[in-house]
Amino acid sequence: MVRNKPLLLFLVLAAACVFSLAAGPAGLSDINIILDLRLPRTLAALAVGAALGLAGALFQGVLKNPLSDPYILGTSSGATAAAVFCFLAGVERMSPVFFLSVFAGAFGATFLAYWLARVAGRLSDASLVLAGVAVSAFLSALVMLTLSVARERSFSLFYFVLGGLYAVTPGVLLVSALIIISAAAVSMARWRALDAMSMGEEKAYHLGANPGRERLIFFALACAATSAAVALGGTIGFVGLMTPHIVRLVSGPSARRLLPASALGGAALLAAADAAGRAFFSPVEIPAGVVMALAGAPFFMWLLWRRRPDASA
Amino acid sequence: MPLLKAEGLTFSYGRQPLISSLSFELRRGDFMCVLGSNGSGKSTLLKLLTGFIKAKAGAVKLKGAEPGSLAPGRLARLAAFVPSETSTPYDFSVGETVLLGRTGRIGFWRGYSRDDHAAAALAMEETGIARLAARSVNTLSTGERQLVFIAQALAQEASLLLLDEPTSHLDLKYKAEIMALLARLAGRGLAVAAVLHEPALARLGCNKALLLRGAGEYAFGATPEMLSAESLARTYNLSPDSPLLAGPGPLSAVLP
Repeated sequence: MVRNKPLLLFLVLAAACVFSLAAGPAGLSDINIILDLRLPRTLAALAVGAALGLAGALFQGVLKNPLSDPYILGTSSGATAAAVFCFLAGVERMSPVFFLSVFAGAFGATFLAYWLARVAGRLSDASLVLAGVAVSAFLSALVMLTLSVARERSFSLFYFVLGGLYAVTPGVLLVSALIIISAAAVSMARWRALDAMSMGEEKAYHLGANPGRERLIFFALACAATSAAVALGGTIGFVGLMTPHIVRLVSGPSARRLLPASALGGAALLAAADAAGRAFFSPVEIPAGVVMALAGAPFFMWLLWRRRPDASA
Repeated sequence: MPLLKAEGLTFSYGRQPLISSLSFELRRGDFMCVLGSNGSGKSTLLKLLTGFIKAKAGAVKLKGAEPGSLAPGRLARLAAFVPSETSTPYDFSVGETVLLGRTGRIGFWRGYSRDDHAAAALAMEETGIARLAARSVNTLSTGERQLVFIAQALAQEASLLLLDEPTSHLDLKYKAEIMALLARLAGRGLAVAAVLHEPALARLGCNKALLLRGAGEYAFGATPEMLSAESLARTYNLSPDSPLLAGPGPLSAVLP
């Protein structure tokens, strides 16, 4: 057992950063490449990863559902669809309208999935996943339809939809990082409310929390973090699903440690995934979203497998 | 003034009335059992009492206030509720779970104080689970887990304790232990209301009984009369001479 658990997390994070700064065809030979190209990209990967890890932990807690994350619930698809429409409508990527629309897309998609699961499936774990899949399939279809129609600009947008950290500009990075840090600070301050919600809504009510209000607050925080992540890196899945499951082994289930650990763990995971996409198929680059899906989808299968009826707790 | 007062409570899920014009009151020191067959509305009644669901008609008064109109934090300081089964997929420790009972006492912008830890420690002492504090709740037996959630409710330091089937799925030892614990709490000045599946358990300290007889019919009163063979036979639709209702002797002899 590792004594100093926070130190372990920081070591993993540092290793991921070094990997991300070193990965690429030029290796470590050119300091300019490292500082001008890889450093901003590493920072973006850290920000996106932290946002998604945090959002995953928030969704899993507030819904008392270990299978939820912004990708599966449709949050990311909602944000991506809104972002694509903004691009095509010519909305500036730095403008408040862009960030507000992306947030609205994320929030709308999440609530639609939540409402469907609640009305049709009494909010069971499976119904939430199904509703999320339905919502994100429809939104993805809308995006694909739009891309097919808007041919001339669809190539760069296609890479945005795949999820990658190519086109990061310092301005967007700064604004997104500020949003993510604020969402993280507010949710970490309210960790006890999240713990109460992870006992279930009825129990949370009787413990002295207002479940409707807490759900709204934590959905808003998770959607803010997710939309900032999407603004930076497009649709990247599975970070939010995997990270809390992995870091719980170190942090325990209480949001007091789980939330900061998920943010750090998500940052490390995505920085490593992005670096792996650059290193292992060089000179071809694999988008971070594809790397995460390659690792995350089997992880999701394993989570489902672990829940089979004859599995011991 | 009674601690809890229900006046003309009426509720139905469909057209068939489940609870109709139900009235009763509880005072500090009362230990009431709620009996009735499956689907007679026992669990629904508890949720009506805490305002988690709204009655179609009638009112609940908890220290004179409607539970549904209270801020959840204030409600949690007046009434604690132990559901029949609380489960979470996450491995919270017993200590963390009991501390969550303090949720209603403090705002969400700060952590637990020394008082909160003291109240949780006392609640674990009272329920005899202090030795389990570091264990994950999900690794405990059903009986131990029930005690954890009773401890969580005690950490709320509320004056009314509501329990939904606190003894189901438990062996006789735990059933007796939990009933003794609840009787002790009532003796200390709490008002306790517990949904029970077995009328025999009500003999272990309940002084009031509320019998739900289906289709909105009910009876409320003191225990020796309420637990008579005729009364229970009407509640469970059994014949009064059913061996199920024959106790080891006159019921009054068992009561303190």
